[in-house]
Amino acid sequence: MSMGMEATVFLAALAFVWPFVGALVVAAMPAPRSREAALWMAGTGCALSVIVFMFPSVGGNASGWDDDPVQRAGRVMLAFGLLLLVLENAVQPDRLLRSLPHVCTALAGLACVAPEPAVGLGILELALAWGVFVFTRPAGQAKTGWGLIRTGSVGTVLVLSGLLLPQGSTVSGLMMACGLVILTGLAPFGQFWRDRNDSFLFLPFAGASILLAMRLRGHGGAAFEMALVAAGLVSVWLTASAGRAGDRQRLFRTFPSALALMAVGVEADVAALLFLCGWCLAGGNRSGRGWAVNVLACFPPGAPFVGCLLLLSVMTDWSWPVAVLTVCGILAAVLRAVPDREAARLFWPEDMAGRVACSVLTIMGFLVPLAMMLGAF
Amino acid sequence: MTLIAILVPMVALCVVARGVGFLLLAGVVTALAMLVDGLTPPHEVGAVLALLFAAVPPLFLTRYQHDATLERSGAAVPFFALGLMVLLLLACSRAGSAVFPAGLCTMVAGLVAVVCRQSMVWQWAGLLTCVEGVLLSAVLGHQPVVLGVAALAGAVVLLLGGMCVHRIMPRVVPLRAAGQRSTRRAGPSDTGADV
Repeated sequence: MSMGMEATVFLAALAFVWPFVGALVVAAMPAPRSREAALWMAGTGCALSVIVFMFPSVGGNASGWDDDPVQRAGRVMLAFGLLLLVLENAVQPDRLLRSLPHVCTALAGLACVAPEPAVGLGILELALAWGVFVFTRPAGQAKTGWGLIRTGSVGTVLVLSGLLLPQGSTVSGLMMACGLVILTGLAPFGQFWRDRNDSFLFLPFAGASILLAMRLRGHGGAAFEMALVAAGLVSVWLTASAGRAGDRQRLFRTFPSALALMAVGVEADVAALLFLCGWCLAGGNRSGRGWAVNVLACFPPGAPFVGCLLLLSVMTDWSWPVAVLTVCGILAAVLRAVPDREAARLFWPEDMAGRVACSVLTIMGFLVPLAMMLGAF
Repeated sequence: MTLIAILVPMVALCVVARGVGFLLLAGVVTALAMLVDGLTPPHEVGAVLALLFAAVPPLFLTRYQHDATLERSGAAVPFFALGLMVLLLLACSRAGSAVFPAGLCTMVAGLVAVVCRQSMVWQWAGLLTCVEGVLLSAVLGHQPVVLGVAALAGAVVLLLGGMCVHRIMPRVVPLRAAGQRSTRRAGPSDTGADV
């Protein structure tokens, strides 16, 4: 094995281990200095994942670890999501809580690359268990924790039983799609986070579920794809019909993940990646901020807008009526459900996190289609 | 396919209808169904895990008071589970598989218990029934990877469910000895003022 190959393998392994190291460092630091350390660790993790994406290790496929370029790019999105989570949260006094996003991102990255999708599901279940254990430790949170574990485990069990049925059968596809929709937390079906801290767990968790959905497509067959598209379509239209009333905002929050699931269903993996980028950088509980609303609603300069274009261009080949329905649904959702127009009009946000998110999303929106044209995916 | 594999979904229906009391029986029947099918290491591991996941919750719950959550769900819930099982059977036979999907039927019954029942202990029993079903199905289908993942999911549900039960439900407190209580009652008269 030559020197260069050894270096790429080492870097790939380091990129997996790095968030765990980050979690240890962040937990070990005293509280006032932990945020700075977390920023450095998350930033280095982003740089590492970008390097691993550009210089992939060749021997990975031989040893059974699945490593296609889409999954590697997905890990880049997860790493930037971690950076943004650290950037916009203040200093957390609790050690376990402040290391939780690092641990969950690390486990999500491992889940996307596991040799079999079932193993990935197991790793996700571990992430769920750890996350729920950490943020339901305060008194009075036990019922919430039980609700999270219940919903997440139901999703895992559904996907597992879909994997047990023969490949390509209708029941198997439907079961796996139901399980994935629950794991992704698509709004009317299974959105199971409520509290502010929950996005520490569920941003990487839902992102990894979307990445896993791409790998489960081979087992699910046509029924799986159609069920995913149907679920995404229902979610988009429900978002549009719910409007912008205060308590219905949770529908709007999962708008990019609904579109990402549709993109997975029509086999537009690059579009799904762009929506995943939007989800990791702007999803969760940030929908109160102007820039996040811009991103969630797929307004032009940014990855989700490019993702919409790619999705629609692929979907017109898949089925015309569904494409028309999707366009109408997205337009209606943007017109009716985008909250707080005044804040959304602002293009360049004032806070640091918003600036980083906007620049990363714009760069991704240019780079990912460029990489697709150059043949990286 | 054995008779005992058909018994498993029936016992799972009893869990849906009556609660956590039937979980132990479901575990025993699942383990038997696995062992009847073969005696290879995956079968034995699966049987041990099925027994473990079914035996621990009832034992653990004896330390806590009875869960008195008012159930609003009606008597129709087991029939709903039965209907879903029949649908699953029809779909599987239409897809061309001749084997009776005992594990998946058990899983469906457990799902109905999780979704339709309100009390936490009942939902816990339902989730563990789901896990039993997936374990049985993985063992009979010779898929060791899925067996391992199902075991992990079962362990997570068992541990965190037990933790939530410990935090939510009141413990069983042993009654004081009669002699002690009588001396209290005979003591100073300010005991009544506290109440």
